[in-house]
Amino acid sequence: MAATVLKRLAGAVLVLWATATFTFVVQLFMPGDRATMIINTQAGNLQNPSPEEIATLNERYGFDDSYLTQYLHYLGDLARGDLGVSYNQHQPVTEIIAAQIGPTIVLTVSALILAWVISLIITVLATGRDNVWSRAATGFQIVTAALPPYWIGTILLVLLAVQTGIFPVEGDTSVIGLILPALTLAIPLSGFLGQVTQDEFERVLEQPFVTSSRTRGMGDLGVRLRHVLRHAVLPAVTLSGWALGALFSGAVLIEAVFSRPGIGGILVQATSGRDIPLVTGVMLASAVMYIVANLLVDVAYRYVDPRLRTA
Amino acid sequence: MTRRSTVSALFSALLAVAVCACGSGGGSSTKAAALGAKQDSKPTTGGTIEYGHYQEPPCLVTTWVQTGYLTRQYLEQLITVDEKGEFLPWLAESWDISDDKQTYTFHLKPNVKFTNGEPFNSEAVKVNFDNWFSTDPTRRNGYVAFHVEDHIDKIETPDDLTVVFKLKHPHHPFLSALSQYAFGFLAPSVVKAGPEEWCVRPVGTGPFIVEKWNRGTNVVLKRNPNYNSAPGDVENKGPAYVDGINWKFLKDNTARWGSLKSGQSDVIYDIPGVNWAEANERYEVLRHITGGRPSQLALATDHAPFDDVKVRKAFQYASDRRKAVETVFQGAVPYNGNGALSASSPEHLKDLEDYYKYDPAKANQLLDEAGWTEKDADGIRSKNGKKLTVRIVYGAGSIISSDGSEFLQIVQDQAKQVGFDVQLKPITTADFFAGKGRQPGEFEIQPGYWVARSAEIFQVVWKPDAKADDGTVLPNANNTSRLQTDQVGIWQLVRQADQEYDDAKRTALYEQVQRKLVEEQAVTVGAYPLTVSLALSERITGIKLNASIGEPIFNDAYFVKGK
Repeated sequence: MAATVLKRLAGAVLVLWATATFTFVVQLFMPGDRATMIINTQAGNLQNPSPEEIATLNERYGFDDSYLTQYLHYLGDLARGDLGVSYNQHQPVTEIIAAQIGPTIVLTVSALILAWVISLIITVLATGRDNVWSRAATGFQIVTAALPPYWIGTILLVLLAVQTGIFPVEGDTSVIGLILPALTLAIPLSGFLGQVTQDEFERVLEQPFVTSSRTRGMGDLGVRLRHVLRHAVLPAVTLSGWALGALFSGAVLIEAVFSRPGIGGILVQATSGRDIPLVTGVMLASAVMYIVANLLVDVAYRYVDPRLRTA
Repeated sequence: MTRRSTVSALFSALLAVAVCACGSGGGSSTKAAALGAKQDSKPTTGGTIEYGHYQEPPCLVTTWVQTGYLTRQYLEQLITVDEKGEFLPWLAESWDISDDKQTYTFHLKPNVKFTNGEPFNSEAVKVNFDNWFSTDPTRRNGYVAFHVEDHIDKIETPDDLTVVFKLKHPHHPFLSALSQYAFGFLAPSVVKAGPEEWCVRPVGTGPFIVEKWNRGTNVVLKRNPNYNSAPGDVENKGPAYVDGINWKFLKDNTARWGSLKSGQSDVIYDIPGVNWAEANERYEVLRHITGGRPSQLALATDHAPFDDVKVRKAFQYASDRRKAVETVFQGAVPYNGNGALSASSPEHLKDLEDYYKYDPAKANQLLDEAGWTEKDADGIRSKNGKKLTVRIVYGAGSIISSDGSEFLQIVQDQAKQVGFDVQLKPITTADFFAGKGRQPGEFEIQPGYWVARSAEIFQVVWKPDAKADDGTVLPNANNTSRLQTDQVGIWQLVRQADQEYDDAKRTALYEQVQRKLVEEQAVTVGAYPLTVSLALSERITGIKLNASIGEPIFNDAYFVKGK
């Protein structure tokens, strides 16, 4: 057990190191001069800064040091938990991210739960039946799995918020303000999870133990819920770790559509202003999310499939 | 029903719903009634204005014009200006100009305090100017420096309420510059603390106080209860009528417009082009055409093919820019054919608007005369085996909006008809600010604007390149056409005009500059001006846009009773 934990931890550190190194290397190869960009972003206009101005900034941020020195400094700071100060906002990166990550986590987790609920309801009720409803439901899943969230978000916004006023146009952090953005992210994911679960569900429905359960006199819904589902959800559980990461990036767009606070706005601004400390911070935060999600998936796996507990 | 037809049925159902949702009721009668009610109403106090803005700045004090709209609410300047171009008192009660025009003395309003209790006095003015001229780039204010650093010799503070600017030479646009948004004063302790402090907790003397900035969401502004420094262009000389402003960042056009329609916002900024007609039908609409250099295409004169004035003129004639602007902006933004100056600048020459009317025959003739006579199968011209290729390098999403990109595509398409191979090179914001594609020789055309109130922008955007002591050339990045104006007699006119205090004579000189830039040199292709638009719900009134750069002013704003 201890060995597993250690292996997991080492893996997590490796992912973080790779993320940090990747961001560092990428920014070195971006065109243009970093000091010039910081100056022009600050001024909000285009100018050719004087050599003195550039020298001041190169000195302050160590842009003149060798790449190796810069890299070691950067890793050293990271190891101490110091993500540095944003070039454009002039605030500590940890503070900026800490203030914004909460709403994004709430959004992605709610979207994942909602996606599961939708896909499970459709799967349990519709799979393996041959009627208009089940076909409509399957069709719905195929369509939604392919829909871009941005488009769904705009449609939902226009229909349910702007036109009818049922939901607020500006997604605040209240529960009612969470529904539309979470639904926007959940709909395509539910289609995707549903597709995966359904295939497995259909396969399991034909297994001998299902027939034997039925012959024991169990009702259809009971068989589906207690026996078939347990087997059928495993692939979708595995995918959920990946899905959480995908939702995190999807949230970037959706937060803008619903004017929600969150990490998305920061990432867009930081990327367009090439605010390296901030971009790195957000990347690392996403990597942490991803690691945690996959740990949770492992735990869930053991819970859903008892055979794995001894493995 | 097969699976596929289920899918397509669902799809069309979704589409149908979406299309229906676009229709809307309302009408001009409701608007007339609301406007009537507004006119009859008396100022009420209280309430928080829900204001839906668009761009969120990275820091609450920068010289980006988008930040200027926000800083107007908490930072104040020495003077302001009205629509007639008359300068009005603000933090300066009055001012005198010496006979030799080289000493400007400002008498400050007494008993004005920053909202942290520090006094506003001559020392505070000096501290701010010193900070703006700092060599530390994170402190330096590029906008202020471009406009006045070349002209100020020294700043003196003979007493608490007097500030004296000694100029190196007369500079008529000095007052006009001071009336612009980038000259707002921060409390000296905040200046001292640096950008870490002023980016999130700026402190000024303005009608509102920054209470909190929730990144990605809003800036919460509260009324300054002790406000006593109202500018000359507002009615209400005391504290604002409303309790505060919730300045929200609604980046998505649908969300911003929807927020106004659903009543979640009282006012929104930047009415989307597709909603322009409906906005005018239903709401009170305010619009400000910003002065200075409009969005125009600067043609690079330092290398082929635009080193030849005939080719520059041919490009001017090659596209129907007026129609392109009308098509793309649907009336929300007007055409600005005089590329030298925005139509709202007082010196703007109207007859230059259509100087280069769409005329492909003339364009073809000019290109023939210039020797670009060979044509390939696609109709692209060449000369001595070299293709007539021009690259339009532009900051996509920053300098040029998505509507602006559409405009460029129309120009590209039409210029192709006469034989130009126009290549569009969009550059991301970060790369553009880092200098990518903007160095001399990397572009033939660079679109851009530079806000200012009037022709004072000439000395910023047409300044010839400087030379360092060791002889290296320091290119003026704002002079995107690369025209060395001192070699064609334009820079001399600009200098002369800037020092001329006789209004008629000065205007005549600025007009000459425009004629030379447009008619003779043909270096700037006019497009459209930067435009500020606001739509107001029937609940709110009294908001206006500043005459200089169009910042929204909320000093006089109040909620209409019973709405």
